[in-house]
Amino acid sequence: MQNIALIRLQMNHLVTQARQDIHSLSVMDDSSDNSQTLQRLWDTVSSMHFLSEMLANQAMMAGYYFSTVPAPALPAQPGTAAQPGVPPVTPLPNQTLPPPGDLTLTLQELENYDGKNGRPAYVAVGGVVYDVTNNRAWAAATHFGLVAGKDYTAEFASCHAGQEAILATLPIVGRLA
Amino acid sequence: MKKAVLPPDSLTNEAIAARLTNAADENLKKGLINKRNLVYLELNGCSGNIISLLNGQNPSFEYTLNSLVDLRYSNSLMAAEGEQASEKLMAVLDEDFILAVEGAVALKNNGLYNVIGSLDGQPLTGLQAATTLGERASHILAVGACATHGGVSAAKPNPSESVSLQQVLTDREIIKLPGCPVNPDWFLGTLAHLLLYGEPETDNLGRPLMFYSTLIHDRCPRRPFFDRGIFAEKLGDKTCLFKLGCRGPVTRTDCPTRQWNGHVNWPIGDDTPCIGCSQFGFPDAMAPFISFDTTRVVKDE
Ligand code: HEM
Ligand code: SF4
Repeated sequence: MQNIALIRLQMNHLVTQARQDIHSLSVMDDSSDNSQTLQRLWDTVSSMHFLSEMLANQAMMAGYYFSTVPAPALPAQPGTAAQPGVPPVTPLPNQTLPPPGDLTLTLQELENYDGKNGRPAYVAVGGVVYDVTNNRAWAAATHFGLVAGKDYTAEFASCHAGQEAILATLPIVGRLA
Repeated sequence: MKKAVLPPDSLTNEAIAARLTNAADENLKKGLINKRNLVYLELNGCSGNIISLLNGQNPSFEYTLNSLVDLRYSNSLMAAEGEQASEKLMAVLDEDFILAVEGAVALKNNGLYNVIGSLDGQPLTGLQAATTLGERASHILAVGACATHGGVSAAKPNPSESVSLQQVLTDREIIKLPGCPVNPDWFLGTLAHLLLYGEPETDNLGRPLMFYSTLIHDRCPRRPFFDRGIFAEKLGDKTCLFKLGCRGPVTRTDCPTRQWNGHVNWPIGDDTPCIGCSQFGFPDAMAPFISFDTTRVVKDE
């Protein structure tokens, strides 16, 4: 519950900020000066969007939060409302729970992590399995003709020779069996 | 004449371009710079780049042709045709000229998969034109994806055995302007720079830094969404297009600030992901252009 109070506080700050910026824009004559204000307004709205996604996620995850209080205006997902006893989890939107770093996958199991249908995207290099789900260079779980869910030891060696530092930036999921 | 130092000159794209064009105009009038010959070859491709260039503003394509260069040959724009056109092309060989090439070089059957004209009753292949003119040109610009790295023409299965211009002119330095098509400013700006100040500074792949140095992702107005993990699930969503396959994070151009069609909009501004058209290896390396199956969760796939 504390969490929700905090989000609400942040949301109220953002609303205040947005109102202030709208006011500034409405009294500003010189249109060349307003780009900064517009940019801030844009960022504010992005943050609000983020918080609302987070709230919605919590609402979906846990009828838990709302089972004790009369249902608030937030629409609960059908089927989840009556699940008392689910432990409170506060996941970030669009992020899978951090998988244990000591997962052992066979090549066949690795194929399941192809980034499709909401699944995470993993690739193996040198026997280590890395998470590329949200890596900027792996949009839609694809990278220069490669698709996620495979062992790319040879490809990495030929395309990124001497760039082992790249691997160090990727979260490790586990190892290949 | 010149404005005083204060207030400072406007820094909009248009104002800067206007200052450059005026400077070029004055220097031309004073005889400080000379018009150069330009040969514009269209080889194995779709002529999309020359069409894109017609959209140029500040300087406009018309201005460029009338004031900056003598366009000695352009398949699409010249009045001459047939052997007459080819003769005009060959006549340039003994003069100083800048060569711009769009389209890949088709190698199959000794170049016969891409015939651009006829000369002395014989077919003139793109391969022949590229090597003959490429050896003599003072500067070479590879314009668009196909000329810079093979592009769509060299995409699998590449029936015409198309290659980039560099692959047939291995010992020539070539300024590379990837893009499918090239943004008119990238070509006209590079050409203007060449005439005014000489070769522009390029990166290790031969691309002018003034247009190709910034990662799209680093200037994208949707970056706040990427950083917060809020992703579009379908075309038209106003958030980050990463999960649909956006190639902005691996593509270096100034699209987010320069934009297209007279600087009015660009793909991401119109809710469709960047397809990496200016990345080497496009289109194969940038495929798939769009994926709807990453965010959508369906029970029975
Ligand atoms: C077909 C072979 C490959 C090619 C052609 C290729 C190409 C590239 C290129 C051109 C970039 C730089 C993008 C930019 O910042 O401009 C890049 C970045 C990257 N590549 Fe690859 N790559 C290949 C294989 C792999 C493999 C097998 C992995 C597996 C881990 C990988 C992981 C990455 C990562 C994580 C980055 C981002 C690095 C950063 O944060 O700066 N690549 N790749
Ligand atoms: S839309 Fe593309 S370029 Fe823009 S932030 Fe998202 S991934 Fe990066």
